[in-house]
Amino acid sequence: MNLIELYIQEVTRRLPEKSRKDIGLELQSTIEDMLPEDCTDEDVKVVLKKLGNPAVLASGYRDRPQYLIGPEIYDIYISLLKMVLPIAITISIIALVAETVMGYSGNESVMQAILAVIGVGIWDAISIGMQVFFWITLVFAVLERTDTAIAQYSMTTRQKEWKPEDLKDIPYVPKKKAITKWEVSGSVVWTAIWGSLYYYASNLVGVYRSGDNGLELTTPIFNEQVLHSFWPLVVIAILLELLLAISKFRSGKWTMRLAVFNLITQLIAFVILIIIFTNNEIFATSFMDLLSMGSAGQKQLIGAVIAIFGLSAAIDAFSGFRKARI
Amino acid sequence: MTLLQSLTTELRRGTLTLAVLSQLRKPQYGYSLVQSLEASGISIDQSTLYPLLRRLEKQELVTSSWDTSESRPRKYYVLSEYGTEIFLQLKKEWKKTSDELSILLQGEEEDESD
Repeated sequence: MNLIELYIQEVTRRLPEKSRKDIGLELQSTIEDMLPEDCTDEDVKVVLKKLGNPAVLASGYRDRPQYLIGPEIYDIYISLLKMVLPIAITISIIALVAETVMGYSGNESVMQAILAVIGVGIWDAISIGMQVFFWITLVFAVLERTDTAIAQYSMTTRQKEWKPEDLKDIPYVPKKKAITKWEVSGSVVWTAIWGSLYYYASNLVGVYRSGDNGLELTTPIFNEQVLHSFWPLVVIAILLELLLAISKFRSGKWTMRLAVFNLITQLIAFVILIIIFTNNEIFATSFMDLLSMGSAGQKQLIGAVIAIFGLSAAIDAFSGFRKARI
Repeated sequence: MTLLQSLTTELRRGTLTLAVLSQLRKPQYGYSLVQSLEASGISIDQSTLYPLLRRLEKQELVTSSWDTSESRPRKYYVLSEYGTEIFLQLKKEWKKTSDELSILLQGEEEDESD
């Protein structure tokens, strides 16, 4: 093999199959054009040096993007990462704490257990973070390469020519009316927290006593079977809260429609809470014994819980309407 | 690469397409194109030129054909009808830009001599 053929091979092997032959032939004739009649190896080297690094030449021929995620979707990619990462990490940490409490055998001190949770927790958070990062990046990289209409969906660039009149269509958002990203992320994280607490209630929610081995969950508050029989209602509440968070995020400010949606969500959540808490068997008997209250006392306690929840729901719903009216 | 070098490269990059299109009113093959550009003092990185020709072909500004009648087969490029149209418009744009710029730079020279 002479130098010229090797050079052409170095270029074409980096190119798509279908254009290899044509580009190879063209290169061959170009190189021969550049050489004098009776050429020596030195002449060939001079010519090849002029053409430069075969990898650079080949990259010039490629029209595939040489980046993973382009500027059109970069903004959406980053904001999605920022939203999903903390939520995923929160859920993984709650799950870890629940599992640790559940599997706590009492053979180690509480301090050891806590240190173990912190150690494993950091590791879990990192690996969950990597997973989320990997999959979101993969999806966006595929989108970048497949979606030819991406520029049209682009949220950062406008396809139409911009006019100063366009400013009129952008609503002015007063600060008091605005919904911050923190608020939205906060509410999603809160949903994740109570959802996980519901799932792991029998291992996490209860009365803790310091026993021989430190803090132990002695009396769970809820009757797990009964609590978990309400799962369809809980799923509805979670979905509604997530939907509300998405609407808040997209709107960016309080509107009447959003306030109504918020009111409906709060109402439904309140009704679900009442249904669950007024169930006769919802509380574990051991917990009730511990409280040693009469049935009247129990009813008062449940009534108080419902009232507190109702009040906070009412305040939330009302403030939505108040902000929408500004 | 120094800042001056990269700014110069950037400045030239935009004019490269125009320079190449201007030489393709009659059919040319790769190396003859390099020579005619160099004859007018434009030195072009060859690893940029050949990919550029293919891109122009993909954009339907030039058409290509293999000439196998001579001792060595050569790929000839020539402006298409659409390419000619675009070239003439680009040329007009360039003239306008260069006139405007020379007025600007002249004014600056006068300031300097004051």
